[in-house]
Amino acid sequence: MTDAVLSDGSTPPDVPRTGVLGAIQALVDWVNGAMAVVSSIAIGVAGLVLTWEVIGRYFLKIASDWQDEFSALLLIGATFASAAWTQARRGHVGIDALAHLLPPGADAVRRWLADLCAFAFCAYFAWKCGKLLMEALDEGQTSPSAWGPPLWIPYGSMTAGMALLSVQLLLQTLRGPVRR
Amino acid sequence: MTPLELGLLFGGATLAALFSGMPIAFALGGVATVFMLAFMPAASVDTIAQNVYEELASITLLTIPLFILKGAAIGKSRAGKDLYDALHTWLHRIPGGLGVAVVLACGLFAAMAGSSPATCSAIGSSGIPEMRRRGYSPGFAAGLVAAGGTLGILLPPSIVMILYAVASEQSLGRLFLAGIGPGLLLVGLFATYAMLHWKKEHTKALAAHRDTGAESELLRVDHFTFREKLSALPRVMPFVLLLSGVMIALYSGIATPSETAGLGAVMALLLIAAVYGAWRLRDLKPIFLGTLGESGMLLMIIGMSLLYSYVMSYLHIFQSAAAWIVGLHLSKWLLLAAMLLMVMVLGFFLPPVSIILMTSTIVLPPLKAAGFDLVWFGVVMVVVMEMGLIHPPVGLNIFVINRIAPDIGLSPIIWGTLPFVALMMLAVVILSAFPGIALWLPNLVYG
Repeated sequence: MTDAVLSDGSTPPDVPRTGVLGAIQALVDWVNGAMAVVSSIAIGVAGLVLTWEVIGRYFLKIASDWQDEFSALLLIGATFASAAWTQARRGHVGIDALAHLLPPGADAVRRWLADLCAFAFCAYFAWKCGKLLMEALDEGQTSPSAWGPPLWIPYGSMTAGMALLSVQLLLQTLRGPVRR
Repeated sequence: MTPLELGLLFGGATLAALFSGMPIAFALGGVATVFMLAFMPAASVDTIAQNVYEELASITLLTIPLFILKGAAIGKSRAGKDLYDALHTWLHRIPGGLGVAVVLACGLFAAMAGSSPATCSAIGSSGIPEMRRRGYSPGFAAGLVAAGGTLGILLPPSIVMILYAVASEQSLGRLFLAGIGPGLLLVGLFATYAMLHWKKEHTKALAAHRDTGAESELLRVDHFTFREKLSALPRVMPFVLLLSGVMIALYSGIATPSETAGLGAVMALLLIAAVYGAWRLRDLKPIFLGTLGESGMLLMIIGMSLLYSYVMSYLHIFQSAAAWIVGLHLSKWLLLAAMLLMVMVLGFFLPPVSIILMTSTIVLPPLKAAGFDLVWFGVVMVVVMEMGLIHPPVGLNIFVINRIAPDIGLSPIIWGTLPFVALMMLAVVILSAFPGIALWLPNLVYG
């Protein structure tokens, strides 16, 4: 399998670094970095909220009615918001068994085609997330729980995250096949 | 199209997508979406985003990022080295005590961190150089750490067990407890092998010393005073207390599994701040970014795997495959062997997370019909998947070891892990003969 998040923090060679694509990638990198910070904070806050849930319910006898759902929203948001940041580092693992069997040129084309297919799926999924978000906003949908937070919050994070991921994959695809 | 033809087409498309090199998450999601567009009503395609959201919004699944955060916090600290140093001072008198200390440190660390690669990295980065300095052969030292690291997916709080609990609809509490007995069995087998192998290398070194006068570090005898032994404990005890405290909170009813994950992560961060002074932004940044990369990748695979499973179920592929397996009228144990062989082969290419979510719905109904306890099977399945972590071509732990000790080389590492693959097979046989090893503890606690 490919390495999960490059340990040295460097970007892989198939992420564009020069020309117009490089400039757009630099902008996307900035957004990805901001999303990674926000997602990290969301994970930390989810941990604190669940800790508070134990203290509040067990020691202070306070009813716990929103903490689980709030944590779920934070963690789903973090997962989608950081998806492009992870992709920019090739952190979404795949099976690279053919890399050792194909000649370098053919392998570069294989990886490019894989990126193209991944882009097609993610863009389609982002579009479906967007439609879901619009429906949630139009109909004022809320979660069926007693707390009932509006559903545009998780759907919005899914839409934004998948759209950013699609842009990241598109940039990597437009770079063209790259030999390793 | 018959379910068989559809199933073959679905399986073929999945293999093609996975081997194209697409990220596993998008390959599974892409295949599911194409089959939805081709074979399911148009309205069902409109709900793909909602399906993924609803499957992911499970508080049990969402414990995963927090258990990873807990593991990352402990893994990025010096807790691994301190743990193994402390165990070594207490175990140095037994033959191969250093190797046994490494195995025990792997088990304890795995239980605290819940991650195989984190365990390999934390224990291996100090344990492998020390074992080599003390005359252990490089392959043996590497194999010991790689195999010890696999305990991370068996001992609680194992992320793989969390997924199995969701996929099989079994109690997470029971599964966590069921992993403890087999985990101790593997620790015992690995430690015994460490002692026997050390004895063999020691005998050779002794013979060489007698014949040629050649010195070997293997012949050196360590001495630690009682004061030195006691002084090794203060840095380790807080983490052992964290491990036991989190388990007590879970099983005494103070905290739910999700709360345990949150509590464990916060406590681990507080502990590394208190014990190692790791509270600054530069200390916390790698912990949170590491968590983000691993948990984002895993949850994306999980979300898309669940969409993939939904499509297989809607198209009756699962049901037909399960009915076909039952229709073969295999004997109970042949059925089990066939299922475990399939899991092992999948482990050549796929991470445990994907194997569980893609196969559970096909594998579990026939096994349940054959009378197997699904909690017990979950444990055995995890032991088989542990083998996948230390044998090629995926062998994640092999690559972790190769990264922290690159001078050993892949070939000696792989040869060093093979005896442990055999020991894991032996453990599966023992667990099949004595299922109580896995089930007595959950039965004792839950009745």
